[in-house]
Amino acid sequence: MIETDVLVVGAGPAGLATAIALRRKAADGRKPRVVVLDKGRSPGSHVLSGAIIDPSGFKGLLTDEEVAKMPVEAHVVKESFRSIMLPKLSVKIPWVPPMMSSKTFPVASLTKVTQYLAQIAAREGAEVYTGYAVTDLVEKDGRIVGAKTGEKGLDKNGRRKSNYLPSEEIRAKATVLAEGGCGILTERLIAEKGLQGVRSQTYAVGIKELIEVPAGTQTAGEVMHTFGYPADFTTYGGGFTYHVSETQVMVGYAYALDYRRPEIDPFRLFRRFKATAAVQRHIKGGKTVAYGAKVIPEGGFYSAPKPYYPGCLIVGDGAGLLDSLRIKGVHIALQSGVCAAEAILADDLASYETRLHATSGWREMKRVRNVRAPFSIAMPFGVMAAGLAWATFGRIPWFRLPGLGESDAAELEELKPGRLEREAANDVPSGPAMPDRLTDVFMSGTIHEEDQPCHLKIKDPARCEECERRFGSPCTRFCPAEVYRRDEGRLQIDFSNCLHCKTCRIKCPCGNIDWTFPQGGDGPRYTRM
Amino acid sequence: MHVVVCMKQVPDTTNVRINPETNTLMREGVESIINPFDEYAPEEALRLKDSCGARVTVVTMGPPQAAVVIREALARGADDGALVSSRAFGGADTLATSYTLSMAIRKLCGGKTPDLVLFGKQAIDGDTAQVGPGVSEFLEVPLVTYVKSLEVAADGAYRVTTVMDDGEQVVEGRFPAVMTVLKEAAVPRFAPLAGWMAAAKAKIEVLDEKAVDADPIRIGLKGSPTKVVTIFPPPVKGGGEKIDARGDGEKGAKAIAAFLQKKGLVK
Ligand SMILES: Cc1cc2nc3c(=O)[nH]c(=O)nc-3n(C[C@H](O)[C@H](O)[C@H](O)COP(=O)(O)OP(=O)(O)OC[C@H]3O[C@@H](n4cnc5c(N)ncnc54)[C@H](O)[C@@H]3O)c2cc1C
Repeated sequence: MIETDVLVVGAGPAGLATAIALRRKAADGRKPRVVVLDKGRSPGSHVLSGAIIDPSGFKGLLTDEEVAKMPVEAHVVKESFRSIMLPKLSVKIPWVPPMMSSKTFPVASLTKVTQYLAQIAAREGAEVYTGYAVTDLVEKDGRIVGAKTGEKGLDKNGRRKSNYLPSEEIRAKATVLAEGGCGILTERLIAEKGLQGVRSQTYAVGIKELIEVPAGTQTAGEVMHTFGYPADFTTYGGGFTYHVSETQVMVGYAYALDYRRPEIDPFRLFRRFKATAAVQRHIKGGKTVAYGAKVIPEGGFYSAPKPYYPGCLIVGDGAGLLDSLRIKGVHIALQSGVCAAEAILADDLASYETRLHATSGWREMKRVRNVRAPFSIAMPFGVMAAGLAWATFGRIPWFRLPGLGESDAAELEELKPGRLEREAANDVPSGPAMPDRLTDVFMSGTIHEEDQPCHLKIKDPARCEECERRFGSPCTRFCPAEVYRRDEGRLQIDFSNCLHCKTCRIKCPCGNIDWTFPQGGDGPRYTRM
Repeated sequence: MHVVVCMKQVPDTTNVRINPETNTLMREGVESIINPFDEYAPEEALRLKDSCGARVTVVTMGPPQAAVVIREALARGADDGALVSSRAFGGADTLATSYTLSMAIRKLCGGKTPDLVLFGKQAIDGDTAQVGPGVSEFLEVPLVTYVKSLEVAADGAYRVTTVMDDGEQVVEGRFPAVMTVLKEAAVPRFAPLAGWMAAAKAKIEVLDEKAVDADPIRIGLKGSPTKVVTIFPPPVKGGGEKIDARGDGEKGAKAIAAFLQKKGLVK
């Protein structure tokens, strides 16, 4: 058994901030042993974001010099907000509340920033190990006392291969869950210990490409945020184009997973988004070179769970810490990591929550608590531009928030005849900056050992058949990686395509998909997301 | 028994592209990885450790960050390792590299040669497959290439099966030997977390040109007669014929059979 002072599960921004702060803020001679584990092959390989980073997260964590040396691509020099109504029709929003502005903020690949944070953590003496999925928490007498890593080297029938590696147990005085959105251990702990917030969490799936564009056509640091089309009026959909250099643009689209029509295919919506005139301007002559997807917890303040259980703290996206008005979570992830470290060093884990509530990130979450991201963006505009009022359909956003215990998935309608065909007919032609799904999956670099048990477990295959009849197997559409397909009258699961985005776990209308951990080190290999 | 395993860190060539205008490698965002063909030799060595108590030493030549290759091998169970690293080694071709590695191996073995030196079959960046054979020349030790399986008898004799273009060959001999090992030889084991923790703390010996007593004119660029004249991407292959047989396996099988017949590959 391995023993450490602190075990951090997940080497994303939140986990690494925890590790760095723990080592930095402890007095010399009393530095705790900190072990950080991540299931990705290397730090950052499972991290995907926009990302425009609110620099408030660096304060109290990094030195000015470290901030200056951070591998950011550009700083925001020009920012616009657009409402897209139709493929060729969009309007620029003439004014946005100052708190939404991100002028001068760094635009970065969060994968690269995470690699950088991992280097700093290592330099400070934290131990960061990648390629290890943490699959179980260990509880003793009402307290989390550590965790276990996943086994490796099982064949597809679950039998031990010649290279079988057993699970290892790590005992820690404090365990910090930094798993990101919809973390498996985190969700289990929240459910088992009743740590839910006022409302259950709601998610959007974010799909992103890095597109290379010809030199001389675009400006580094020019960013655009959009909302509206191709989402319908009842579901939030928002997109972005961030020019990270003169020749590279990050293009992303987030679509709320509380949508109701089973024919919806977020990946196709992403393609239609890219085909709009508003976006085409930014990707003209371009070619997609990288791809990825990940869920965003966007329930905000009321959906944030209690982030504390004896022996254990939850930081970052896993604790629902995301400013859902701006879809920014990196700065709060960093701040929460610092708070967790302070609570651990003070030997008072329970004080984490109060510390967290004093951060600027949490205060912003509170300020926008009644405007859920989807409509939050439309609302201030609705107020100032009557012409836009129709976009909100007269709805007051918080009326339609799911209540406690109600899941997003429960809301799917039954599939209506002809809808699938109509949706398919709306698809846009492929091209260099419009790859089909499998080409995109290839560019994510995702790879899983084929001879291992399928990590996406169907709890009851009979329900998949019922789902096929009622909803037309929406998993074959909502998965951004084409993991699920119907073949020869049954559901086939190509788990090797999986991007670990967790959309299936959230959106399966029957709650029939159990997302378990594949062999540590498997999964996407993001380098520039 | 003492086994030395030579491994190399390479750019992940699956992500390397060639700039069509300048014909130079575009390495932006390209990770360094252990040469995939070098994963099997250490496993073969560790099996000798398990079966006959061999001592396993890992050697890599490269920049300081290549030390991670050694740590990974230590994490999996190797006994010790050394990083052969110095600016003076920069720009080495396969000849200079073979010479340098052979000097390092001698140094690590107190001037003698070890029982067995293992290599992967080739590195994915240069694909030359010359360094293993080169080291065998410099060490004046017999060479066996493309080893698919290795058995060692109690008296120190070995029996290996090697793969050639037109068949397999069984070779018997006595150590010392230099061998290059194929993927088929062994499925590499995983490093346990506890192994990584110990390896992360291990101090890794760095050998420079002085430490290995290298002749300055035989190392680095100076010792490298090979000159790269130009780099170009291989011609783009025309897209193959795509048979979409989703939902109808029989149709797919027939289409494949018809295709092979047309090519005259089957009757
Ligand atoms: C499309 C998109 C755009 C976004 N844009 C922005 C933006 O512009 N600005 C902004 O501030 N934020 C943005 N966000 C949000 C931001 O990315 C997140 O808030 C941030 O990444 C959260 O950091 P984290 O450390 O909590 O989690 P993550 O970054 O998700 O990291 C979690 C890590 O934990 C690992 N892990 C999880 N479970 C385990 C386990 N059991 N064992 C081992 N390892 C595990 C994962 O592999 C991963 O490496 C965006 C998100 C998306 C999806």
